[in-house]
Amino acid sequence: MQSSKKIVVLGHFGVGKTSLIRRFVTDAFSDNYKVTIGVHITKKTVEISAENNVSLILWDLEGTDDIASLRKSYLLGAHGIVFVFDVSRPSTFQDLNDNLAIIRSNLPYVPLMVVGNKADLVEEHALKNVIEAQEIAVDFIASAKTGKAVNALFLKLATLLTTNA
Amino acid sequence: MLEQYQKQYRNNKRQFVLINKEGTVIESDQQFLAIEAGTSIYDIHPFFECLPAIVDSDEKEISFFCVHLPIEENFFVVDIKFLVKKEHVLLIIDDFTEHYHSYQNVAQTRNESVIKSELTIIKNRELEERERFKNNFIQNFSHELRNPLTSIMAIVAILGDTALTDEQTKMLDFLKESNTNLRLMLEDTLSIGMIDSGKLKIQANEFDLHSLFKLMEFTYKAKAQKKGLQFLCRFDDKIPQYVIGDRLRLFQVITNLLDNAIKYTHTGSVSFNVLLNLKRANTVGLHFEVIDTGEGIAAEDKEQIFEGFNQIATGKKTNGTGLGLTIVKKLLALMGSKIVLQLHQDKGTTFYFDMLFKYPLFPENDRSLQENTKTIKSESSNQPKYKILLVEDDEHVQATLFKMLLKTNRFQINLAYDGAFVFQEVVNNNYDLIVMDVNLPNLNGIQITKLIRDFPFKNIKKIPIIGLTANVYKDQINQCLKAGMQKVLTKPFEQEEFLKVIYKTLK
Ligand SMILES: Nc1nc2c(ncn2[C@@H]2O[C@H](COP(=O)(O)OP(=O)(O)OP(=O)(O)O)[C@@H](O)[C@H]2O)c(=O)[nH]1
Ligand SMILES: [Mg+2]
Repeated sequence: MQSSKKIVVLGHFGVGKTSLIRRFVTDAFSDNYKVTIGVHITKKTVEISAENNVSLILWDLEGTDDIASLRKSYLLGAHGIVFVFDVSRPSTFQDLNDNLAIIRSNLPYVPLMVVGNKADLVEEHALKNVIEAQEIAVDFIASAKTGKAVNALFLKLATLLTTNA
Repeated sequence: MLEQYQKQYRNNKRQFVLINKEGTVIESDQQFLAIEAGTSIYDIHPFFECLPAIVDSDEKEISFFCVHLPIEENFFVVDIKFLVKKEHVLLIIDDFTEHYHSYQNVAQTRNESVIKSELTIIKNRELEERERFKNNFIQNFSHELRNPLTSIMAIVAILGDTALTDEQTKMLDFLKESNTNLRLMLEDTLSIGMIDSGKLKIQANEFDLHSLFKLMEFTYKAKAQKKGLQFLCRFDDKIPQYVIGDRLRLFQVITNLLDNAIKYTHTGSVSFNVLLNLKRANTVGLHFEVIDTGEGIAAEDKEQIFEGFNQIATGKKTNGTGLGLTIVKKLLALMGSKIVLQLHQDKGTTFYFDMLFKYPLFPENDRSLQENTKTIKSESSNQPKYKILLVEDDEHVQATLFKMLLKTNRFQINLAYDGAFVFQEVVNNNYDLIVMDVNLPNLNGIQITKLIRDFPFKNIKKIPIIGLTANVYKDQINQCLKAGMQKVLTKPFEQEEFLKVIYKTLK
């Protein structure tokens, strides 16, 4: 049986939402930054097990530094959320817990992944310090550029979604 | 104008699509999207898979803005409104592709510039952090070097008083000179650290400018001659003899410039001139210049040579730390002046700066220094021995100080490593003087001094104390004096200076 699940990818602008999706869907990466406006939607089918596939409908939203201003219709019916921040730019995660609370108030029950992207730009131990200092619960430290943890994070989410269902 | 707008907005296309709640297209007016009746809306684009959620929600009307719909060859950016009716759902789709393209450009510029400025701030902060770390490291490291250097200098001094062959004397002279150089480099490094961390304060005391000039002339004539250079000196005699300023820092600036000039000049001359710019009621403006006929400086290096640790960075090999000019620049800035570098057409360079001084109409004419130096020589043997307690936890420093004192044959010395011993000792002996390291383990010198000054017995309470420290900061020195030390000596020091201070304190 195949089901489709709506995943909303959001976070500040320039953190690499589009890049993570591109890496996941077409296994490609570009250093050029093309700002996303509105929303781009792509679909990718993931095989969770031999008899269990799931179609992820990935909603790549335009970046915003004010999650509260996000249009509610984008979130409507979402099965999962990926919140992306940029580990090399503190402004993208310093209000992270507040942002997550806002998302939670809209979608109390859906699985939510917190992803620190651009791991390739920061040294590992420096990264740990930053994250600890901010008291952030991070699910994945990823890099769209190197591909690190990209598949893992979407697979994990897909698995969560199918077992929850 | 209006026409243009009309064109833009009239061209806007709006498409109506009617679907049932399962997503099958009932009717479509085919304005710009090819959506055939009878097909499933889900096959048009995955965006439409949001339909079930919309139908399930209580909302009757839901809008999506700026949705990208790549459909077949075309790329549309649309606003889509879902109107949920009883039996079916009406979609109103507006094509705003062009409008959103221009908005994309605006967003692009804005986001890029925000990110860029953010990254610049982060980068600058990192650089500052690194700079601070470097300065701290260098300062600590230089402090650490002072103790062993003190020992070496003391031992060299003692060795010089023993019977030596000519060759050994020569070698010892080399050693002395190297030590002096090493010490000067340490001082340079520390000076920079102190200036950068704002710990260096400029003094304003009356001092004898003429004798400073004479000292410079004497010292550098000798140095220049040694290198086969001519040393030319000119001082305007209308310059007042006494001025108010920081003699030590001015001295440091001039010696750095002159050392530098001599170092980089291989033939010709080095000149040092001090000229009068202006003289008013109690202010005098002086022009200091150091001119050389040296190899010069490449024009593109002109600014760089004043930046710290430059020589090290460029890998040019010469003696010294390469910090001299940095110190000059920083010290002059603290004193309200500015170093200027002129490159000569043919050969050589001129460094100059202008500085204002206040000068007293009735100078104090202090002669105490000269008296002090005399006393040392006259104090020699056949006089009563003083009893000294030496408190120092570093064995090497202890040994050298011990020897320095012993040599004079004027002192009886006891040693202590630790605060606890000090109290025992002072109670059981009649000491004339305590010489104590400030940075002792457990109780430090400042604490010990305070406790001694609070002793109930007059004879103990009043024992003079000389502090020894590798710390050059005024703060700590002031703390020592406030705690009741008579004098604080900064390591490393020469034997002569050490004894001078001891005799003076014992008086
Ligand atoms: N070094 C590095 N750069 C990355 C990584 N991911 C994205 N980038 C770069 O970061 C910039 C922004 O990436 P996008 O994927 O467009 O970011 P976004 O979150 O979609 O941005 P908005 O659409 O404006 O919200 C681009 O220049 C990417 O090349 C990464 O993992 N490592
Ligand atoms: Mg994007």
